[in-house]
Amino acid sequence: MRKTLTTLAAGAALALVLTACGGGNDSGSSGADGESTGSDAGSGSATIKVAYQKTDAFTQLDDLLQKCVGEFEAANDGVTVQLEPIAAQETEYFTKLALMHGSAATAPDVIYEDTFQVRSDAAAGYLAPMDDYLADWDGWDQFSDAAKQAGAGDDGSTYGVSMGTDTRGIYFNKQIFEQAGLPADWQPESWDDILDAARTIKEKVPDVIPFNLYSSKSQGEAASMQGFEMLLYGTGDELYDYDTQKWNVGAPGFVEALTFIQTAQQDGLLPGLEDALDTNLPNRISGELFPQGKVAIIVDGSWVPGGWMSDGSNSWPEWQEVAGMAKMPTSTGQEPGAVSMSGGWLFSIGSQSKNPELAFDLIAGCLSQENSLKYDTENSQIAVRDDVASDPVYLDYNPSFEFFSSLVPVTHFRPATPDYSQISSQIQVAAESVLTGQASPEAAAKAYDDAVTALVGADKTQNAG
Amino acid sequence: MTAPAVQLASPRRRPSRVISNVILVLVGLAFVIPLAWIVLGSFNTEAKVSITWPSSWTLDNFITISTWDTTFRPLVNSAILSFGCAVITVVCSVLAAYPLSRYQMRFNRSLMYVILFGTCLPITAMMVPVYALFVSLNLLNTLWGTVLFLAATSLPMAIWMTKNFMDSIPVSLEEAAWVDGASAMTALRRIVVPLMRNGISVVFIFVFTMAWGNFFVPFVLLFSRENMPAAVAIFGFFGTYGTVAYGQLAAFSIMYAMPVLVLYLVTQKVSGGSFAMSGAVKG
Amino acid sequence: MTSLATAGERVAPAPGSPRGRRAREVRLGLVRSVPLLPSLALLALFLLGPIVYAIYGSLTNRTLTGPNAANPSFVGFDNYARLFASSDFWTSVVLTVVFLVASAIIGQNVLGLLLAVLMKNGTPTLSRTIAALVVVAWVLPEIVAAFALYAFFASEGTLNLMLDAIGLTGPAWLIAFPMLAVILANVWRGTAFSMMVYSAALSEVPPEINEAAEIDGASAAQRFFRITLPMIRRSISTNLMLTTLQTLGVFTLIWVMTGGGPGFKSATLPILAYQQAFNFAQIGYGTAIAVITLLIGAIFAMVYIKVLKPEVD
Repeated sequence: MRKTLTTLAAGAALALVLTACGGGNDSGSSGADGESTGSDAGSGSATIKVAYQKTDAFTQLDDLLQKCVGEFEAANDGVTVQLEPIAAQETEYFTKLALMHGSAATAPDVIYEDTFQVRSDAAAGYLAPMDDYLADWDGWDQFSDAAKQAGAGDDGSTYGVSMGTDTRGIYFNKQIFEQAGLPADWQPESWDDILDAARTIKEKVPDVIPFNLYSSKSQGEAASMQGFEMLLYGTGDELYDYDTQKWNVGAPGFVEALTFIQTAQQDGLLPGLEDALDTNLPNRISGELFPQGKVAIIVDGSWVPGGWMSDGSNSWPEWQEVAGMAKMPTSTGQEPGAVSMSGGWLFSIGSQSKNPELAFDLIAGCLSQENSLKYDTENSQIAVRDDVASDPVYLDYNPSFEFFSSLVPVTHFRPATPDYSQISSQIQVAAESVLTGQASPEAAAKAYDDAVTALVGADKTQNAG
Repeated sequence: MTAPAVQLASPRRRPSRVISNVILVLVGLAFVIPLAWIVLGSFNTEAKVSITWPSSWTLDNFITISTWDTTFRPLVNSAILSFGCAVITVVCSVLAAYPLSRYQMRFNRSLMYVILFGTCLPITAMMVPVYALFVSLNLLNTLWGTVLFLAATSLPMAIWMTKNFMDSIPVSLEEAAWVDGASAMTALRRIVVPLMRNGISVVFIFVFTMAWGNFFVPFVLLFSRENMPAAVAIFGFFGTYGTVAYGQLAAFSIMYAMPVLVLYLVTQKVSGGSFAMSGAVKG
Repeated sequence: MTSLATAGERVAPAPGSPRGRRAREVRLGLVRSVPLLPSLALLALFLLGPIVYAIYGSLTNRTLTGPNAANPSFVGFDNYARLFASSDFWTSVVLTVVFLVASAIIGQNVLGLLLAVLMKNGTPTLSRTIAALVVVAWVLPEIVAAFALYAFFASEGTLNLMLDAIGLTGPAWLIAFPMLAVILANVWRGTAFSMMVYSAALSEVPPEINEAAEIDGASAAQRFFRITLPMIRRSISTNLMLTTLQTLGVFTLIWVMTGGGPGFKSATLPILAYQQAFNFAQIGYGTAIAVITLLIGAIFAMVYIKVLKPEVD
């Protein structure tokens, strides 16, 4: 009896000690201590925490960080960089980041931030303005105006440094096209051209998925950007009116885009539902299904060849011969004839960072000319630094760069407002409801309109019908 | 529990025995197949989503995942969470069950109803405010904060079970102690607890098992890789790979499930066969 | 089940006014309740607190990101109004009730009782083996069970493999019949609990009455329904309540198997709440869903207590 109680007590003490140690080291604070990390830049020891995404298909950022963090730590005695890779796909990654911002102890110092989140997160107070540091950084002069704008918050301050940008287009498998009797230099002029080609493939090469367009909310922003918005912005309608600062509801283009998805689905041109609703579909398309010739036509981003050229799990040396590239057409071929969407990622500084200046130094180091070149080539990004964009190493690295850069004149950007990210979720819901047949395009569009009105208020919407 | 009565051997019983056996076997098959998939898959580097007999049995999957980062640290974290939670829960519930079991107080009945309801609170429904609470208490991403929360959620069931065990211990021994002038706490410590050793172990192992398998709470409250328990780490396996590496997933599952399976066997021994938990849960 | 009425009065009541004695009783009651304090503290802070906070949070428009993350405002019952006008919400309520009834009230209880009965009649070794398998399914960590069942029901999974072997082509269960798949999965997962409860309950039933009825000519079915079942009524009611409320909170199983999909076809209330709060960043709205889930649980609990009167003493 006494022994049992003693054992229990000892066990409890041990457990508490262990947990205190475990908890204390990593995230510090528990009430009395207050904030654990940090002292002034340059004196004593400091820890910089970097939160970023890392999956088995996306290791290029991890590579970059291993290199530039090593350089940074060598140059800054006493400063440790703690890498916090988050192994999750898009939606979960953003959720995790948002949760991390919840308290000072868990908030990261440096963040791998998507451009479409930056206004929203800045408005939420999660990010620190970088204007003062940028003014002292001569690297900033190299960034194009568009790139400087990419990290801007609603208040005009800059909240992120662009790592690169991207465009989106069509990849098609030339070998399958040959089997189906379609041309190797295929360039569709309208949505119907795409559907026709897909139907031909379905007929001539039956065990191949003819066409893929991301349409499920489990794929997150990929379904909005590489999927739905590639259609919508090709109809002439847009999500947001910058002049009136209102969101469009009732846009006919919205219904047209959803109808395209419905038609493709009803004709059996899209992947089966189990694949179409898979959160890992983007990884699988670029890593297996397309290289293995299991899907013929895909709409995807300019970064995809990065994986093919790497030595990683998505390596595909033959891609240059097999993968054809085409511009995404507008709905009926109307001017300007093609459409693309551009996004990109940034490095941002967390607003609760104890060492924002050190954090910025790390960012500046990781986006130096040399490191930007490394990242933009290996991850197949469109360079945003002029000195990288004109570098022959960059230009020669990836044969697809020329094509994707040529899409920049027809590209669109997502609405740069703080509520875009929430509205984007509703786009994905609409697309998925049509994909699964649970709603007609009109009903799904109406549900979207209602959701947007509820999110931003009726005074911020306008009828675009 | 009453000893099983002697059954009259009557010819009418035999067909019912056969039918019972047949149905039992069918049910058993239905239950065993998913389990078999895990076991077979773990020894098979070519494991697929459907059950496959390994063409070559290998320990490769286990070896590949047996690193500190992938497997051992998450398992240690799980152990810390579960053990800490179980210890705190058992201590608190033994203390709490004593007055509930021994004293007739006016609020006994309503408290027990509240506890009964508390055993089944859908924790998922509360994770958002719990997250907000942890933010304000500065407990986010701390192992011991999560331990406290897990203990709180295990308390209702643990109190219920402990009280049931305690009720089956006659009061007469304590009465004798009281007559001799012992206080309630002394009686609890010296008399009741030693007699309840088996019951306490059952509660301990039950709480440990529930905490070990808990996914959602650490998913929301713990972020850094250093703090992640096995439940969340294994989810990472599933969610971030292009095609799931089923063999490794199965191997990790086995390593993760082993401790609680072993613990359950221990409970069986401790409570002398039949079903360990049944003494605790019968109404 | 012993409780003490007078044995607790170890202090002999001193002669004096009734008020003095009353005060002493109250003090005694308080002293006796002291051991309850640690538990009450934990419960109050970590369970009661969040519930209260949840109710408050559901009345705001807080989001995970964007301006309403920094400065949420009080919106009263707006979230609830939106919920009640949303067809997705009502679908989710229906799905949740279906899930509860099919997998807990019917599935686990019936199967658990059946197994308990069969184990009494079957060969002991076989019974113990099958029982062990059923229990393993329950002891297994939830996420491992979820993976195993996902693989079982996947379109290239074991179930379709077996159907193939007998010449049938199974559909993609997780897409075509997501609710059926998760219901069966939850039955697989949770039956052990009911089985153990009923097994214990059945072993307490004295066999003499049964045997007497048998000699009198009652059939097995009559004996079961007229004699055995009423005798274990208390266990049935307690178990119904426990399994129902446990099943109400099931998240991981459904999340891993179907993610609530396709679309929202298998999105029970916990899944819907998570998606709204964490994936769509609508914290206030998602919390409203969570509060409603708690209310549904409370209603079920009260119904059970009133109607079935489970034993608590």
